[in-house]
This record gives sequence, structure tokens and C-alpha cells, in this order.
Amino acid sequence: MAKDSVDVCIIGSGAGGAPLALELGKAGFKVVVLEKGAWYQKEDFVHDEILNSRRNFFMPLPWDEPHLWRVEGQPYTRTNEAWTANCVGGGTVHMSGYFYRLKPVDFRMKTEVGAPKGSNVVDWPITYKELEPFYDQAEAELGVSGNAVPHPFLEPRKGNYPLPPLAHAPVAEAVEGAARSLGWHAIPTARGIISAPYRGRDACVYCTLCGSYGCEHGAKSSTGASLIPAAIATGNVELRPKCMATQITVDDKGNARSVLYLDGDGVTQEQPAKIIVSSCTAVESARLLLNSTSSRFPRGLGNDNGLVGKNLLFSSFGQSKATFSVSKRGTELPWLTSTAPFVNRSLQDFYVMPDDRFGFRKGGTLGFMWAHPNPIFAAVGLARKGEKGIFGKALKDKLREYKDSKILEFEIYGEFLSNDQTYVSVEPTVKDKFGLPAAAITIKRHPMDFVMTKFLVERGEEVLQQLKPDRVDRVGTAGETTILQGGTCRFGKDPATSVLDPDCRSHQVKNLYVVDGSFLPTSGGVPLTLTIAANSFRVASKLIARLKGGGK
Amino acid sequence: MTDRGSTLPPPHMRDDEFPSEGQTAPAEHDPLLADLPRRVFVRHLTFLGGGVVLLESCKDDKKPDAGPPAPLKQPVPTISHKSFTDPEWATLVAVIDRFLPKDEDPGGVELGVPDYIDRMLQDPTMQQMKTNFPTGLAALDRRAQRMFQKNFASCTAAQQDELLTIFKNSGEKTGEARWYEMLVVLSLEGYLGDPNYGGNKDGAGWKTVGFELVGRNLKGDPKSPYDGSQRLHQLVCGGGKGC
Repeated sequence: MAKDSVDVCIIGSGAGGAPLALELGKAGFKVVVLEKGAWYQKEDFVHDEILNSRRNFFMPLPWDEPHLWRVEGQPYTRTNEAWTANCVGGGTVHMSGYFYRLKPVDFRMKTEVGAPKGSNVVDWPITYKELEPFYDQAEAELGVSGNAVPHPFLEPRKGNYPLPPLAHAPVAEAVEGAARSLGWHAIPTARGIISAPYRGRDACVYCTLCGSYGCEHGAKSSTGASLIPAAIATGNVELRPKCMATQITVDDKGNARSVLYLDGDGVTQEQPAKIIVSSCTAVESARLLLNSTSSRFPRGLGNDNGLVGKNLLFSSFGQSKATFSVSKRGTELPWLTSTAPFVNRSLQDFYVMPDDRFGFRKGGTLGFMWAHPNPIFAAVGLARKGEKGIFGKALKDKLREYKDSKILEFEIYGEFLSNDQTYVSVEPTVKDKFGLPAAAITIKRHPMDFVMTKFLVERGEEVLQQLKPDRVDRVGTAGETTILQGGTCRFGKDPATSVLDPDCRSHQVKNLYVVDGSFLPTSGGVPLTLTIAANSFRVASKLIARLKGGGK
Repeated sequence: MTDRGSTLPPPHMRDDEFPSEGQTAPAEHDPLLADLPRRVFVRHLTFLGGGVVLLESCKDDKKPDAGPPAPLKQPVPTISHKSFTDPEWATLVAVIDRFLPKDEDPGGVELGVPDYIDRMLQDPTMQQMKTNFPTGLAALDRRAQRMFQKNFASCTAAQQDELLTIFKNSGEKTGEARWYEMLVVLSLEGYLGDPNYGGNKDGAGWKTVGFELVGRNLKGDPKSPYDGSQRLHQLVCGGGKGC
């Protein structure tokens, strides 16, 4: 039976859904948020690696809710790749919270550096200037700690961050010096973690288990710790956890009518709403629209032009690690003996290259950090397998060596070029535990991505080598970070070439919005979480104006 | 954002080998292991091991499963072990004693790694592994019989190491190698996981890798004793509903 209709039904409570819920609630609109995952409280967040990182606390089991993955031309594999997190707050709960802004060039990439052949790079329908005030708002509402310092690619901003930077480990100065000696700039990394008490939330206690874990102190600026409680406090927002949206229905005029979902007991419910917002990640929003077929929309909701799911984006990934023996080098390098967790230094000197002499123009960011302390993860990596695998005393020796080591690493957040062979579809023959066709990801990396990532990795290794480590190990230069995802419902002015209009409203379904990473036409060279939240605040201002104007 | 501490959102790394499909296990490998339904093996390993590249394809999904291998002996769980018969348990303890031997730091057996595996295989998320893992132990014993005319547990340390190395190096498409990967994952979870699951006694495994400062939770232990198994179970069953 259908529930009472509300003004807005939002599917998903992460970086995309939560800002909208808060703003709509504050403006007096009745909102229901459907979240497929559980509503974890602070006491649910325990430093248990098995629970957090190795079972289904955040990610569904791949045999319950698979994503299919294939490199173009190869068979599908069944995986839990490209899920973010299934819980209230979504991926913001276990994120590390590297909160960078995009740069003005990201909005005008085609004009300023050109679209590489074989890519689908386009300019955005909005400019950095239009998004800038909403970056300010997102940083203030979520709580971001940082220090904006001058550097060649500093984005325009009105002022500094709402909170001072987190205390950094002494190695940060060493990284700064190393970069300086190469003529580059190791700048402070802003974090979605509060460095001081903020809006009733406790400050970070520097526990060292940040990424991959929920924060038991609420210091991490997940939407679950920040925006969602504020939204509920407006009295206008109802959050329904453990509710899996299965379909968006349409009326006979082709407008979105309701969301069908399975509640925590597995019972189908229907939530009608004047406005329906899909905010369940680029992959899952595309899947929901593609699975929402009707006689009006046989190819999926709002998919008359066949572009839903196309131009999928991840973040180009590369990484190297520098290992130092603390017992042998600790006197010479006193920063090795500190247990402070945050390096918080980034390199953006190669965000855009002045010419294409190295084979690419648009680069990205290097983030420097200590290796994650999760011991099972580290030990499985040391044990390896096959001919290279070790066990017995050899493995125990490696574990002891690991204990005596500090591992400084960087990871790349690089431009990921959209193309025709990288997309999300649905696979009717493979169903999840709810009986819904699974999302199927096909990927073909643009060769320029690998050229660019390799270049950035080499520069990062040069920084690491300045610190004279015992050794530098390259993890790789040709990866993609699937937890950072976008595209699939590109926004644009032309209904023939985009799914959403510049306000993230469906060109074809005038009361349907998609507000997560799906709107992104390009990936940018930074993690996308802050941008997804800022855009949600921007969409909220447009939607509220539209609803208050009674208009279309 | 992308800390690799989580095994769950690992990036695909194509620099590492990206093995292709199609190999079958060479004839000298244990046929009972080779017949294990590969897709289930790989899925579980990937999930638990993290970073293991998935090989299973939809095409393979449509093939009829080989079905579980016929058990060599009727599994008769004893009271003391939930997932293993007594002979399997003896083999497991011997395996763990070679995989993580006691030296100046504690060994896997004294930290309860076999107990961890015994308990974890009871978890609803691990049902397929509950069949697969003891099957591998039995295969190890058969190999020991063939090569040394005695059970694995009765072999010398050098013989045991030789047998484990054969399984380890069997080639990634073989059941032996997949079982070895499962052994790596389960043993290290038991050695370095939260002590509440039955392994890593008193957090001694954490001390060997310098993790004891981070431990469970800076806020102190929860008021009631922490039981991760309960949580895993709740999650699988949707908070107690419908299990």
C-alpha cells in the first residue's frame, strides 16, 4: 500500500542525498530519505578489522549483491567493486576524508586543454564560479579542517577553511622540504575531519584508524555525523534505513510518481512524492534508472537517448611506497619515531601541464600518507602467494621487519578520461538477492590515463627518494579507484547529449533529479566527495527556488 | 578515501598479473580439489583476501557446477571442534604450526589460529568455505600419504614444508593454490584479527607487528564484552529478521 505522499523522496543518504535532505528540511519541505543500509551509531564503530574491512559491515557480499565487471571484450567477473558503502552516510562513513576542491580548469577542460582523441571530454554547463559558494557551504556544514596556502594551482576561494588544519606528523616537513628541493609544493591536505569541537561534535583524537572505519567519536565529517542529524532535527525529514529502492514508477504523463522499495522486513512499500531524487552513487543510480522501465520509458527512466549509464568515470590510480627501518634510521630521521597519524601533504604541481610534451595535458593530485595500519591486510600482502609466497619463519621474519618499518606512500587521484567503451548497464541474467538485475560495468581505459598516471607516479617517487628511504616499491601505475565514481547521468544543456539538465534534473522527466556523482562530465584530478556534496547544496538551492516559485 | 587498509574497495591494478581464463588443472593435481566449484572458491577468496583478481565469468556461471566432491569420509564433527573432524583438526593444527611457527614470537597454534578458523567457518557468511577448507586439508593428507606414506601431521617439519610449498606453487587455477590462499587469509585473520573471534590470544599477534597501540578502540572496551561474531551474524541476517 502506498504511503502518504511527500514533497521529496531521496534515495540515498551519502554525500549526494544528505545535503539536499538538510536544505529541503530547513526550507520546510517534507522529505523521506530511503537508505538501503543500516543506521550505525557511534558505538557500532569498533576497531575490528575483520568486521570493518573483511566482511559485509560496509559492502554487500558479492554473491548477495554482485557488481559485474569486465574489461571491454572480456567476460564479466562478479565482484563487490564499485560499491561505496551501504549504510546511513554511505561512503562518507568509511572515507579518509581527503576534501579537495576541483579547479576552474576542470569545468572547462575541453576548451582549455582539449578533448583527447577517443575520449568524450566536454566542458561542464556550469563554471567553478557557480559552484564556489556551495563549496564554501559544504565545507562549513560538513566541517573541513585545512589551511589554504598559495601554490600554482590553488583554486579561487573566499577564505580559509572553517577549521584549522589537523596536527600533522613531523614527516610533513620532510615531505615539504623534499618537494621544495625539486621546485614543487607540498601543500596541506584539507580533511573532512574536525580538528576542534564543532557544532556539538567532538574533535579528532588521532586514533590512526580513519579510512575504512567509521569514527566512534563523530569527528569524521560523514553525512551521518553532520548533515543527517541536522536534517532530522528540522522535523521535516524522515530517514528510513534498510530500505532498498527497487524502481521509480511513472504516471501516465511520464512524470515520476513514486519509489517502490523493500523495507527491512522485505515487504514492498511505495512512497509517492512530488519530486524524486536518486542519490545512490553513479553506478547504482544508473542501475535504478535502467531497471525502472515502463511503457513510456522502455529503455529505462529518462533514457530515451540511451545515455543513462554511459561515460562512467572513476579516478586514475597509481601508488608507490617508501620503506624506512625505524631502528636503523630513527636517529638520523627523527620523524620516523613519531606515531602521529596524519601526513596530510599533497602535490598538485602537475594538475595541468603547460604543453603535451609528456603525452598528456590534464594530470591530477598526489596525496602523501602513512600506509594504513590494518595488520591483516599488511600481512596478507607480505605472505603473497604462488612462487613468491612465503610461510613459516620467512613470514614471521617479514612480520618483524614490518613492525620495525614506517611506510610512507602516495596515491594518485588522476583524471580519468570518459569514453564510449566505459559504461554501466544492467544484466538481466544476473540478479541480486532482491531479484533485481545487477549493475554491469564495462571498462576500457584511455591510454593517455596510463601515460599521465605513470608520469605522476615517477614524480612522486622522486619526492620519496629525496627522503633516502631503504627502498621504494612501486605498487602500480595503471589502476582505477572505483570507490570514487561519477558520470553515467552526465549533466548538460543539450538533451540530445546529456541525461540531466544543468540543475541535475532529468531532461525527460521533469520531477526526477539525480544528485550524486552521476552528473559529472569529467572526473577531475581530486577525490570527488566534496564536489558531490557541494553540487548537492547547489541543486538544493535551485530546487527550493523552483518549489517555492510553484514552478516547473 | 581510498586507504588500502580496507580490502573492500581496492583499485584494480593492471600492473600486476591479470591472469586469463581457460587453464585447467594439470593431471597431477588432486582431482577432488580440481573439481571444486571454482566460482565459489574465487568469490570467497576475493572477498576475504582482498586484492585477489576475480576470474569468474558469467559464461562460467551458466555452466553446470561440477558439484561438491564426494567426501572421503563421513564428516563427524566432534564436540570440541565445530567445523572439523578429529583427523582434519590434527592436520589443521600441524599446518598452522608450519605456517606460523613459534619462534621468538608466538606461533599460530598457541594464539588460537585453529580455533579461529574452526569458529569462523561456522559463520553464515562462510558456508561454502566450510566445505572447501576441510576438503583441502584432506587433499593435503592424501598427498602426504602418496609422497611419505603417512598423514601430514605425522610428517617431519621438512616434509610438511615441502607439501605446503607444493600446494602454494601449484599454479593459480588449481584447487591446491586456491586452498593455500584460503589458508593464508584465514591464518592471518586468526593471528592478527580481533581476539574476540578466538585467535590472536591477548592481542599477542598485534604485538608481533606493532599494532597493539591501535588495538580495538581508544574509547576503551565496550561495557559488555565485544562479540564480533554476533555483529557479523546480525548483518548477514538483516538484524535478526528473517534468519
